[in-house]
Amino acid sequence: MKNCKDIENSLPLYSEGLLSEAEKKAVEEHLAECADCSKALADLKKAAAITQELSEVEPPPWFREKIMARVREEAEKKSFAQKWFYPPRIKIPVQVMATIVIAVLAVYIYRSGDEQMKAVLPGALQPVMEAKQEPMPAVIPKAKEAAPAPVVEKKAAIIGVAKKDQISEEVSSGGSTPKTGMQKNKLAGASDKSLTLKSNFAAEKEEKKYTDLPEKQEAPQRYPARQESIRERGVEDSSLSGAAKKSKLFKAAAPVAPRSMAASVNAQLQAGISVYVADINSAVFEVEKILTKHEARKVTKQLIDGKAILQAELPAKNLKDVLSQLRSLGRVEEKNMPADGGERDINVVIEILNN
Amino acid sequence: MSNIIDNKRVTTEDDDLQYVVLCQKGDTEAFTELVERHQKKMLNIAYRMLGDYDEACDVVQEAFLAAYKSIKKFKAEAKFFTWLYRIVVNFTKNRLKQRQSLTRHESASMDESADGQNGCAACLSAASTGNPAELLEQRERAAHVQKCITALDVEYREVLVMRDIQGFSYEEIRDILQIPDGTVKSRLSRARNALKDCLIKVIGDL
Repeated sequence: MKNCKDIENSLPLYSEGLLSEAEKKAVEEHLAECADCSKALADLKKAAAITQELSEVEPPPWFREKIMARVREEAEKKSFAQKWFYPPRIKIPVQVMATIVIAVLAVYIYRSGDEQMKAVLPGALQPVMEAKQEPMPAVIPKAKEAAPAPVVEKKAAIIGVAKKDQISEEVSSGGSTPKTGMQKNKLAGASDKSLTLKSNFAAEKEEKKYTDLPEKQEAPQRYPARQESIRERGVEDSSLSGAAKKSKLFKAAAPVAPRSMAASVNAQLQAGISVYVADINSAVFEVEKILTKHEARKVTKQLIDGKAILQAELPAKNLKDVLSQLRSLGRVEEKNMPADGGERDINVVIEILNN
Repeated sequence: MSNIIDNKRVTTEDDDLQYVVLCQKGDTEAFTELVERHQKKMLNIAYRMLGDYDEACDVVQEAFLAAYKSIKKFKAEAKFFTWLYRIVVNFTKNRLKQRQSLTRHESASMDESADGQNGCAACLSAASTGNPAELLEQRERAAHVQKCITALDVEYREVLVMRDIQGFSYEEIRDILQIPDGTVKSRLSRARNALKDCLIKVIGDL
């Protein structure tokens, strides 16, 4: 026999027929004997009736319209965002454009930062830095230019472009050099010259460039010449806007590099000769002929400051002959003449000047 | 108790669905029909739960707006009104929690609420017969009942409101409140007992 407590929880469901047969039976049995629970059941029924009296409240007037007003507001907001951010057709182009804008901005900022750098740093440093993107002491711009050919290609291009402004002055002041027929040769010559340097370093890693300085210092005469040759190259590049020429230049340079390396390692003897002539151009032509006749190698030509400079590597034994032939062109001054070099090559620098 | 009134529920799910689909496709005006169909029921659920007519109106507006915002998430396999009423029940319960943190006395918000809209059919009929005493009595009675409903614990209250006042089936209550059948029944049982006891206290003999 169940007690009131147990039945209490079943009573509210009894009338609804929600109890199982067993539960229902237990309730009925208990009710038969328990007045309290019978009263409770009756009360439950009355309570339910009272609850039923509660009818539904009505919504206030315009309730629906108030709701719809807010809904429409929401729809407005949604459609704007959706138009621009959800449909793939629009979303993707928007995203692509945004990415492009950001990329362009980034490049622009990077470049303008570079521009400022260029304004601040000496001209010689910059191309090197741009090309190699390594920190470099200001002392050895040339070292960098001696770097492997592909890097030099970049540099030349940069030199040509970047140095335009800086060099233009030099060009105008010293630029009486004719730039036509000799240009190609000059370029080649310049490249040869720079290649001798380059070749010194070509075999070595980039890190070792600084150690090559001492070698360079052995050839002080070469140094200014090279400087000029580089400037020349820059000038010529800029005036020619010769990207094609540049690549030719370096293509020619590349195969030469290993050979000249071997040669230049040995070519430590130097000779400086000045020749005073009436007509530089024809003299240059003659000097070239002389040099070639005497097995001169790596003949380079430069025109700077109203004079021509030819360099070549000449077998020591031929130097005397060359000298005597030069004398036929004009007044010859010997600057440094090495002691008999024997079998070795001499690096000859011939200046051709006006009387 | 055999006084479950099924005809309280008028709308069918099938009818709702076409409007829902239109809304999902961007037809805002289709939502109007859904509001029309369900506003009264939603208001009554909220009102019975909260015991305050104005608050109930607020809550229902919020609930409809929330439903509109997430209408695209509604999946056709479910019944729309189940989904909709779940929203209003949740909003109502949130409001109750807020209220409780503000004031411990639920009865404080329990005045005769806005002007006679305490949902008393007997009051209305008494009003029409022009019998002030009876009207007053009915009004008071309705107020008492509402007070007792509001006095119930929330989880008992919600099943009582949905079953005994709104007439949802056990299955629907289970879906809307997302509680198992057994829980619905046991809570309902306790709710009815508690209400009965409360009414006896407040009204006296029933």
